[in-house]
Amino acid sequence: MIEMFGVSKVYPGGLDALKDINLKISRGEFVFIVGPSGAGKSTFIKLLFREELPTRGQIFFNGKNITRMRNRDIPFLRRRIGIVFQDFRLLPEKTAYENVAFAMEVVEASSREIRRKVPQVLERVGLSHKADAKPSELSGGEQQRVALARALVNEPDVLVADEPTGNLDPDTSWEIMKLLSDINKRGTTVVVATHARELVNAMRKRVLQLDKGRLVRDEERGVYSNEA
Amino acid sequence: MRLRTFNYFFKEAFISLIRNRWMSLASIGAVASALIILGSFLLISVNFDHILKDVESQVEITAYLEDTVDSIGITRLNSQISSISGVKEVKFISKEAALEEFKQQVGKDLLEGIDNPLPNSFRIKVDNPQNVASVAGEIQNLKGVEEVKYGKGVVEKLFNIIYWIRLLGLVIMVVFAAVSIFIISNTIRLTVFARRREINIMKYIGATDWFVRWPFLIEGMVLGFIGSAIAIGILAGGYVYLYNIVKLNIPMISLIPMEEFYNYALGFLAIGMFIGAFGSSFSIRRFLHV
Repeated sequence: MIEMFGVSKVYPGGLDALKDINLKISRGEFVFIVGPSGAGKSTFIKLLFREELPTRGQIFFNGKNITRMRNRDIPFLRRRIGIVFQDFRLLPEKTAYENVAFAMEVVEASSREIRRKVPQVLERVGLSHKADAKPSELSGGEQQRVALARALVNEPDVLVADEPTGNLDPDTSWEIMKLLSDINKRGTTVVVATHARELVNAMRKRVLQLDKGRLVRDEERGVYSNEA
Repeated sequence: MRLRTFNYFFKEAFISLIRNRWMSLASIGAVASALIILGSFLLISVNFDHILKDVESQVEITAYLEDTVDSIGITRLNSQISSISGVKEVKFISKEAALEEFKQQVGKDLLEGIDNPLPNSFRIKVDNPQNVASVAGEIQNLKGVEEVKYGKGVVEKLFNIIYWIRLLGLVIMVVFAAVSIFIISNTIRLTVFARRREINIMKYIGATDWFVRWPFLIEGMVLGFIGSAIAIGILAGGYVYLYNIVKLNIPMISLIPMEEFYNYALGFLAIGMFIGAFGSSFSIRRFLHV
């Protein structure tokens, strides 16, 4: 589903963010991308989103070479990828329901579809009872659930989470991870960039470790770090 | 585009219009002043054109013939004048006809009893008033022509005035349009800046550039539309007022009635909306790249 061949990214100014990455993530996998800050996790996600182009190498998504994609096709790539950020990025003046519905409005779904699917997906993340609450009235974990619902509502092929538990306490982090795992079990490929050591160690999923832009480890049922 | 999407665009546009009401008002004012100035100059120049056409139709060349020219000479001169380029119409006025005309103009027969002192003449109309002077010069050189007369200078001066009015109007209009675009683009920039998070999220969710752009374009176009509507209102009111004053006090000047300008109103709205759209597209561009 996601394939990278010899992908390097050098930012203007000479910073080597990624060096010669080769990898394959198959449909239905759950993958952690780990590594210290500055290891290239964010760049990895930006490349996947076509926010940045690789300096060298090719990236395939669903068999399509996204490095050769025209700019006008980028939105349609992004509709196949749901994303969740560390800082949730919800719209503060909209309710939980409206934040999720917004994702469907943006892709011009019909209002009937929106009315049908938003409650479904809110239920799936366990937030039906807070549908009318604004982000400021929600806890961090609840906000991240709204963000997850928003990422899922358009039924993406991949859910990408960039430090999804970075702002959450350990218990809440666990709940979010369990939710991500549930989502994965129902068929969505999940890619999580994180440095939450305990969570990675406990989940025993595939781990891709980045260090100074290089892919230094790719291990099934891995832990956060072998050295530790 | 779905209807609900369209509604969404309008809703978003109006929300931010109200959120930035002071900048919105400034933008509307700028567009209105630009268009009022454009409109005033337009009205002046169109009216001048109209008055000039009146004058033009009165401008003809009269060529008085020497008394020695006989009827063969008259026929020859007629064809010579007709063949000068730019001549539209040549009409022969015999001594007798001239006298008749003179009698009618004066109202009584002043010249009764004496020999008709008026010469034979041609009245010549040209296709373009700008050619009057050169045609007159050529006729003057023909043999048998004693004197050539025309409204020398008047036509040229009027043309000059119109030319400068139009040029001045255009220059001021361009300056004001640029100012309007600048102010609108700043207004929209505030909106875009206030909503950069939202734009960022939209782009991540997979919104197309146009989906992001439309609310801002609509916001700009609404500003331009309101501005031009105000300009049209003020211009129409002012013009009707002036029109009535002129009609009462200077009846010999015929101004174009307001109704004739209704067609321009649409053009004005279009210009206003274009200025608005242009101003806003200016400030969205760099925020779109995510």
